[in-house]
Amino acid sequence: MEATNSIDRRKFLKLTGISGAMLAIGFESLAMELGEDAIVKAIMAEDFIDGTAINPFVIISEDGQITIMATIPELGQGINQGIPAIIAEELEVDLGKVNIVKSSATRKYGRQSIGGSRNTRSLYGPMRKLGASTKEMFIRAAAKRWGISTNDCYAKDGQVFKKGSSTSLTYAALVKEAAAIEVPKNPTLKNKKDFKLIGKPLPRPDLEMKVSGQADYGMDAKTEGLLYATIERCPTLQGSVAGFDKNAAMAVSGVEKVMEVTRKVYGKDNVGIAVVATSYHAALQGRKALNIQWNNAEFAKISSEDIDKELGALTKEEGYEHVEKGDFKATLAQADHVLGVRYDLPYLSHTCMEPMNATVHVKEDGTCEVWAPSQSPQVQRQFARILGIPDDQAEEKIKVHLPYLGGGFGRRSMNDSLFECLQISQAMTKPVKLIWSREDDTSQGPFRQRTAHAMVATFDADKKPIGLQHKMISQAITTQGRPSRGRLPFEVMEGINTHYDIPNISTRFVEYKNQIPIHWWRSVFGSTNGFAHEGFIDEVAIVAGEDPLQFRKDRLQSEPRYVKVLERLEKEANWNKKLPKNEGKGLAIVESFGTIVAHAVFLKKQNGKVSIPKVVSVIDCGVYINPDQVAAQTEGNIIYGLTAALKDPITFKNGAAEQANFDTYRMLRMNEAPRAIEVHIMENDEAPGGMGEPGLPPIAPALANAVFDLTGKRIRTLPFDLQKV
Amino acid sequence: MAKYTLKINQQEFTVDADPQTPLLWVIRDEVGLTGTKYGCGIAQCGACTVHLNGTPVRSCSLPVSAISGQQVTTIEGVSEDQSHPVQKAWIEAQVPQCGYCQSGQIMSAIALLDKNPKPTDDDIDTAMSGNICRCGTYTRIRKAIHNASNEISNGSN
Repeated sequence: MEATNSIDRRKFLKLTGISGAMLAIGFESLAMELGEDAIVKAIMAEDFIDGTAINPFVIISEDGQITIMATIPELGQGINQGIPAIIAEELEVDLGKVNIVKSSATRKYGRQSIGGSRNTRSLYGPMRKLGASTKEMFIRAAAKRWGISTNDCYAKDGQVFKKGSSTSLTYAALVKEAAAIEVPKNPTLKNKKDFKLIGKPLPRPDLEMKVSGQADYGMDAKTEGLLYATIERCPTLQGSVAGFDKNAAMAVSGVEKVMEVTRKVYGKDNVGIAVVATSYHAALQGRKALNIQWNNAEFAKISSEDIDKELGALTKEEGYEHVEKGDFKATLAQADHVLGVRYDLPYLSHTCMEPMNATVHVKEDGTCEVWAPSQSPQVQRQFARILGIPDDQAEEKIKVHLPYLGGGFGRRSMNDSLFECLQISQAMTKPVKLIWSREDDTSQGPFRQRTAHAMVATFDADKKPIGLQHKMISQAITTQGRPSRGRLPFEVMEGINTHYDIPNISTRFVEYKNQIPIHWWRSVFGSTNGFAHEGFIDEVAIVAGEDPLQFRKDRLQSEPRYVKVLERLEKEANWNKKLPKNEGKGLAIVESFGTIVAHAVFLKKQNGKVSIPKVVSVIDCGVYINPDQVAAQTEGNIIYGLTAALKDPITFKNGAAEQANFDTYRMLRMNEAPRAIEVHIMENDEAPGGMGEPGLPPIAPALANAVFDLTGKRIRTLPFDLQKV
Repeated sequence: MAKYTLKINQQEFTVDADPQTPLLWVIRDEVGLTGTKYGCGIAQCGACTVHLNGTPVRSCSLPVSAISGQQVTTIEGVSEDQSHPVQKAWIEAQVPQCGYCQSGQIMSAIALLDKNPKPTDDDIDTAMSGNICRCGTYTRIRKAIHNASNEISNGSN
């Protein structure tokens, strides 16, 4: 542990105002209450903990308090508890007595970035091993003290016991000796049947703070002398500043500075004008007075209509090969019947409830304090280079608080707002909070990709499918701001199921280039591909005269996990029950991020209004940590995906996004949400899959397929109005 | 700039602010109660919901000059210890995910139950549709409001 400040744990517990042992603390608000000293020293979460750090994640105090650090950004996915629960499981400690402490962002915790539904998947093994190694160190320390073999000891509830006796030593009593023992490389892991925490629906400790307004988000960062900034950026996303009225902005009471700020997005430098003031309201008033003129004629030509045409032209290109099975082209000549259609999905904004923001304090003494509401918060090295701090001093001189994130959805893996804020604070040597307005957040991107999908199926004389082609046309995320690589970008074909037993399958990608920036958006290409692919599979099933669920089951026999998921959905959704005429049902199944998800959507038309009474979901995510979080993430994916399917797109006219706030970029609200969402989880011993995203791709196609069942109308373009089907 | 005395959570605060400053920013940045959130600034998302004399209002669209002398309640004023039936029901149903919209959701739910202790699903939809949740906690919110309603009516029997 680093030297701690002289605030003991009891005082800290008192300050947090929460009794009980399960704590997940947002420390930032405490700094204010601790007085000026604390602020100057940049107190980090870790500084509050007494005890010996047996490793960076587990700290044990002499009075027996066990602390486990929650090091992964918490944006609602429950990771704040999920990873500590994995450690606690193998460590054999009662999670109810453990302090879970939200850490800062620093390299000693390894990689802290989140995305790709990756964290539980990638940390499940290492964190079990960490917990088990730590437990073994305590066992070895106890065995040594007792002079017996480690085989005669076992650990339970934070203590080591001598087998066949009640003699025991607590971890606290052993921690100094244990910490000196070499970390065992291959500890014995528990059997799944002995798990007490993994797989159990544990209540989340951060919720007490989230129902009482106490959880600290980036937006809530507090520090002495804080200034507030807003930035006017070019409406066409790119363009340079031709002129602006600096004096008018400076004349607004409270405005302290007006300056140029550069926002780097995929290699492009976009200049905006920042207004910094003593209050956010004053900064906004100053911004209104800027009257910026932009040089942006070349960028003002972009329109959604042109993009549509450009994508259409590309459907005729061959593109890059993804999967070629059999000879699809040959089936075009043999086919008795050919079905060719196009699917389209729009650009979308991520729209986290907490708009983009950042707080940075570049101090007179050359150090820097950062509040990073980020999915990639370890910014020390990059900040150091800008501030002229040597790499090897970056961690020491740049302290990064890791606040709770008010949503992420991929957007917060781009740190553009942090770098904007750094420029302002560096220029002023004062603490600055940069707040993006909702309008900025919606219209400035980066966006979810706009895609087109040319789908072709070929059928024999019995109307059975003999060939299927899915050609996807889109920008790629990883080739922005540079020439095409001349090969298939890794990310673009997610969620396209080529396991279907159709003899000739061709899946291809045609790259589209456009200056509109796109970025990882919850489930990324799964969100677009899944809709086109599973919507089209439904169309093929209908042409074949088969039930859409049976069709999928019959043609996925090579993939037993898919079949089991479909069988479970058939049962849980009571799929084969005939519905009244004014009701419809649809399903889709998509694998993404290592997890298979099938949804069945039910629709009902009553008094001229279409509603979604129920969604039934079956998840195969392998071993899971917290089933209630699996359910919560699935519910969230369903709502997020329904919003994308039913509400507003991002469209461009004269180079600018036409949507700005929740009046023009509307969100699904409670009265439009499904009345019931049932989530069923498959039990098996497969490796853990992701859960943050896989629930999303199958929801839009299941909905569209249900619309077809209800009305006979096929939805191939998102978004659509459920009340107009 | 002008001086305003605000009654927030039974306490008086005197602030110096431009008359047009939305109450939201005064509560957050002058008074320091950051449980009330900024989401849109145009009364469309409900993240900034507080009670004005017991009625839910969107503090992002209410100038500070318009509320002088009236009773404001924020999420911090709901209870000392997360013991309000609605907060308890929220924890029991494990409602929040990111949690950013939840202060506003809870303030709307409390106002609903104050007026209508036994709301139907339709009543809940009507009262809560002004509050957006991007994490998609709507079904849990509905369940939690029913649970809180039951606890409130059982408690008063």
